Amino acid sequence: MTDAQTLTARPPAATGRENAQHAQSAAEALVQAFVDRGFTHFTGVPCSLLKGVFRVLESGEGPAGTVSYLPAPREDSALGVASGLSAAGAKPVVLMQNSGLGYSLNVLTSLNLIYDLHVPLIVSWRGHDGNDAVEHDIIGRELLNLLDVFGLRHTVFDPSDPHGSVERCLAAAEDGRTTPVLIVKEGI
Amino acid sequence: MFGIQDAIRAVTEKFPTSLYVSTCGFITRDLYNTADRPENFYLVGSMGMAAPVGLGVALARPGRHVVVLDGDGSFAMNPGALPMIAEHAPDLVHVVLDNGVHESTGGQRPVRIADPVGMALAAGYSAAHSVSSPEELAAVRPEPGVTTLLHVACAPRGAHAGKRVEWTPQQLVERFRAAAAA
Repeated sequence: MTDAQTLTARPPAATGRENAQHAQSAAEALVQAFVDRGFTHFTGVPCSLLKGVFRVLESGEGPAGTVSYLPAPREDSALGVASGLSAAGAKPVVLMQNSGLGYSLNVLTSLNLIYDLHVPLIVSWRGHDGNDAVEHDIIGRELLNLLDVFGLRHTVFDPSDPHGSVERCLAAAEDGRTTPVLIVKEGI
Repeated sequence: MFGIQDAIRAVTEKFPTSLYVSTCGFITRDLYNTADRPENFYLVGSMGMAAPVGLGVALARPGRHVVVLDGDGSFAMNPGALPMIAEHAPDLVHVVLDNGVHESTGGQRPVRIADPVGMALAAGYSAAHSVSSPEELAAVRPEPGVTTLLHVACAPRGAHAGKRVEWTPQQLVERFRAAAAA
């Protein structure tokens, strides 16, 4: 690491120390809400709408101070790692852009949903308003239908109520028979 | 060259107390019929996911040794997982049972990886071995705590695997979770 990188790496540490005095950002509160409910590992593939969440996880500070973050090469592999964590007794969360849901469908249908290894998914919703980059048009239009086809219960994240959003998301899958999905529409 | 079922038996005898994750198809069925134990987590689908699942198991249970049983087809399906596994340096032996065919689906020709050992090392595994006989397999002594690829060149079964796993997926999770915590 060069000196310049060392210098630019410092400000987040200072921000972390100030968390006690400042209200948490929506991204920090989102991570905190999962940590408060006993979640131990976060893995996934980034999306620009989840930039803040990944920043918190990469910092390893504040709400991310007690959890592990594992960058994954692809969303299905993230789900695979999370499934192993869950099968062996840990509590993981997977993050992805909605585009990654396509890659993930085989793992969801032939592993998570049939073994009842239900790992919460935080899925960003590119293309939700039909006015995004063209590659998001179809998956953006069909996201909720796709989740409904496989019985994945979804909750839209409310940035003004992160803890309540996570609470509602997990409560929707409380019976342990489905995978809860927290949908993030606006960048946090 | 030895048969794939003999290779599976040799691996289970070499690592008798480890947690296992096996890839779907005949390898899961062979492991189940050779040495069924609560410490085995059988994948019945999700080809290509045995190694990522193995990483998750190893991270959840850092005190335990993990063995992944992959085939050459499932290994070729997800080489992207290798650097992710290597990054966390789990106490894991990633066995690739290379019989040169997609035997579970009728013996079709898979994509061949020219140098599995080189690929694993390039991805960051600390050690990698390739063996093609029971004697060579017996001679490999993976260092404890070191992420290791163990490529085993073996012969196809030439016959069906044993019966399918009879535990339900939920039963597999329940007993594996308890065994992993023990």
